[in-house]
Amino acid sequence: MEEVIKVDQLSKTYGNLLAVDNISLSVKCGMAFGLLGANGAGKSTTMECILGTKQADKGRVSILGYNPQKDRRKLFQKVGVQFQECDYQPEIKVSELCEETACLYKTPADWRELCSQFGIGSKIKNAVKSLSGGERQKLFIVLALIPNPEIVFLDELTTGLDAKARRDVWKILLALKEKGLTIFLTSHFMDEVEVLCDEICILKKGKVVFYGTVEESKVVSGSEKFEDAYLILSGEEVDEK
Amino acid sequence: MKSFLTLLKNELKLNIRNMNMVIFAVIMPLVVLLILGLLNGTRPAVDGVEYTFMEQSLGALCTISICAGGLMGLPLVVSEYRERKILKRFQVTPVSPIKLLVVELCIYMIYCLVSMITLIPAAMIFWKVKIHGSWLAFLGSWLLTMISTLSIGMMVGGVAKNSKSASVIACLLYFPMLIFSGTTLPFEVMPEAIQKIVSVFPMTQGIQLMKATFLGLSVDNIKLPVIAMVAVTILCTGISIKYFKWE
Repeated sequence: MEEVIKVDQLSKTYGNLLAVDNISLSVKCGMAFGLLGANGAGKSTTMECILGTKQADKGRVSILGYNPQKDRRKLFQKVGVQFQECDYQPEIKVSELCEETACLYKTPADWRELCSQFGIGSKIKNAVKSLSGGERQKLFIVLALIPNPEIVFLDELTTGLDAKARRDVWKILLALKEKGLTIFLTSHFMDEVEVLCDEICILKKGKVVFYGTVEESKVVSGSEKFEDAYLILSGEEVDEK
Repeated sequence: MKSFLTLLKNELKLNIRNMNMVIFAVIMPLVVLLILGLLNGTRPAVDGVEYTFMEQSLGALCTISICAGGLMGLPLVVSEYRERKILKRFQVTPVSPIKLLVVELCIYMIYCLVSMITLIPAAMIFWKVKIHGSWLAFLGSWLLTMISTLSIGMMVGGVAKNSKSASVIACLLYFPMLIFSGTTLPFEVMPEAIQKIVSVFPMTQGIQLMKATFLGLSVDNIKLPVIAMVAVTILCTGISIKYFKWE
């Protein structure tokens, strides 16, 4: 299968802090890739360096054959992104935000349909600020899917969602994956990662400490549950060892 | 083009919903017009001239909205969008920064236009204001004043570190220009010393030009204000595009 995301020896420092330390990874077309790690392990910085919204100090990145910084406008016709922290214009309504996003793409998806798929179809006329945290999170996933992307980047995609809503989101994403969507995500929920991801990469202080499938991580760490495997591999569980 | 119009429509709606510019760029100039009109009626500007005080002031009134849009609205909206990471969201879409800046620019041009086309008929109807010079020259000076002032605003929004410093810079530019460049207080009533100091504002030059073209007065040195305003426009636009930051 074709590699759609290729990252080669990526590094980024903030002052003295090495936030991303020589990371290499690749994601094949139609796969779901999970970037895991504790808060501050460098997940978001890695994702931003890959997307070109942050300038890496060293390393090469290619997405769909494009250089994200040089070919930004071509690349983001085909790539959708949901950032962890992003905001919207203070008074904007759901319909306006969707319309404004959709108008930037050559072949956008039908945002009304996406909204109703994600269960916020009845909120289209509401102000974004009046939505609940969960509804807003769903809206931002909708925005990332509006481009009809070949690849979607989701940073902590289900933070703030209740159990039912999380499962609904997984179902939609798995269906899109069936149709060939490549997913690159970060998450703190191991159940979610287990359901969605074909391959994972665990970061610790900016370094890759595990790279492989969920099953492999269980074998390597000698645990039955993936969450235990994650905690051991990411070095979070130092007390018990 | 379609995306430009959709962005313009939505951003304009948001801007109107916010009401600030409606008040400062459209209603306030009309209020000032009303006050000046009630105070001065149709009396001549000074004894022995053919034009009235209101005719002399009209050009300046048209710049209140330019001041509000260019020195308050535009820099604040650009820096706020950056600080709230709204621009960052646009960064991961195919939109070009120039398109976004032009959309915001157009919004404030629309306010300036609305202000002008409400002021002039009102002044004509209630205080018998008529143009002594040429419409074309007047509109040309108006356009130049507007573009140069808006480009200053775009630059401030572009280079300010955050919306707080943008707002400080905006105030430092807005209030002196609003008060001393002849926008609200007529240039002629100010002491000569102040007149000399404020002549450096591009706004002052623009107002003088608008006044002269409206009243049909001869301008001694028309090249100087025109060159000054064009230079400001090119410089500020260049800086705001070159140093544009998404985040």
